[in-house]
Amino acid sequence: MSSMLNLSAQQREHGDFADRVFEESGEDVRKCYQCGKCSAGCSVHICGGMDVSPNRVMRMVQLGMEDEVMRTRTIWACVLCSTCTARCPRDIDIPRVMDTIRIMAKKRGITEGFNNANVFHDIFMNSIIKYGRVYEAGLFVTLKLKQSGTMFDDLSIGIPAMISAVFRMPKFPPKMKNSDQIRRVVENCKKIEGEN
Amino acid sequence: MRYAYYPGCSLHSMETSYDLSVKAVCKHLGVELWEIPDWVCCGASSGHSMGHLVGLAIPAKSLVKAEKEGLDVLAPCAACWQRMVWVNHEINKSPEMKDKISRAIEEEINGTSKIFSIIDFLAAFGMDKIAQAVKKPLKGLKVASYYGCYYVKPPKVAHVDDAENPHLMDDMMKALGAEALDWPFKTECCGASMIFQDVDTTVSMSKKVVEMAYKAGADVIVTACPVCEMNLDMRMEQINKKFKTNYKIPVVYFTELMAYAMGSVPQEIGLDSGHCTDTQLLLAKIS
Repeated sequence: MSSMLNLSAQQREHGDFADRVFEESGEDVRKCYQCGKCSAGCSVHICGGMDVSPNRVMRMVQLGMEDEVMRTRTIWACVLCSTCTARCPRDIDIPRVMDTIRIMAKKRGITEGFNNANVFHDIFMNSIIKYGRVYEAGLFVTLKLKQSGTMFDDLSIGIPAMISAVFRMPKFPPKMKNSDQIRRVVENCKKIEGEN
Repeated sequence: MRYAYYPGCSLHSMETSYDLSVKAVCKHLGVELWEIPDWVCCGASSGHSMGHLVGLAIPAKSLVKAEKEGLDVLAPCAACWQRMVWVNHEINKSPEMKDKISRAIEEEINGTSKIFSIIDFLAAFGMDKIAQAVKKPLKGLKVASYYGCYYVKPPKVAHVDDAENPHLMDDMMKALGAEALDWPFKTECCGASMIFQDVDTTVSMSKKVVEMAYKAGADVIVTACPVCEMNLDMRMEQINKKFKTNYKIPVVYFTELMAYAMGSVPQEIGLDSGHCTDTQLLLAKIS
């Protein structure tokens, strides 16, 4: 992000990004007056999981900093706890905005802000498209193989917890009469959205 | 009383103690549950990040089955519950969205089935009725009720109780004879599905919750969300290693304590074996 930004020019030339986010999400980010309540209450931000605070993401949208905001970790790191929304004096559904920018970024193939999150979503979706329900054991193994640098993150849960988790985790995929339901829904959604 | 039951993936895999205890409590209170046949995953925590319509249509696929049966839905998992509530919210707001969802699931959905969270559902019986059903009061047990996020926020859809200071679970714990601790962080986020993306941040988030419960003197943390349970329960030792602490607080579902107080034995509801944290101390205290 350039530190020498001409704000008026930026907003004049790229203001349509906020319009597009509004169209896609139904949330008007232009209403944000930067009080910072969202960031003050954001557990992820407080624990160091975000590179840019949520209120700054709102400002970046207002200024039309599309490429920059799509490359933040923050849009992927939001877990939709909605503490920000509950406290926002401008009644903006901030997680909805984060979700929307995520979808827009993904369409453009921009996922480097937090690629492990993107990998998780892809693997999760593949799992439920294939089985109809989450198959945790399969999901977990695939995650460890495809994410970067997370292979040994879970070892420190300790041996008793590991035994308990492995004991409880179903070893085989879930059994369903029709496991094809989600695949059909996802395909239909693509067709319907393609019409617009 | 008959309700459609949507257990969701967690309750049918690792979190069977939640499934078993919800069913046990319903049995104690005379509620008949009809499990939605061939239900599918609600799509949390990824469906909504793939596309707005997809995020709504996936949970709608199971919801419509309950609607056709003319039943209201009980969805104990907080994430499943909220995904379903969003479906009704959007359907009622926009006929165009209703049409799109119906086309995506190849069935007409009208948003007529109410969707109950387990907290709301049980609290609606009234604290007197819950207290009357208690056979083994949880005398002297100090309980930290942990609500997490999805049941209480955002207020637009999760209008249960109070977003910042909910008390329904506390009230129910009192009705069971336990002491409900007044503690902050009862709605702070545990990190949710971020555990699959960034363990370090998530463990830091969960630690804050456990630390507060510890400082409040909790014998047990009760939750109503499988993700909260997994993050606190499974990661307790990881928290201890990372922060050089020694927290040993059992984390269980509030329905487990309720079922136990109403007469279920621990083995029936997974209270003895369904958790990573050691529940033996808890069992010794309440038996």
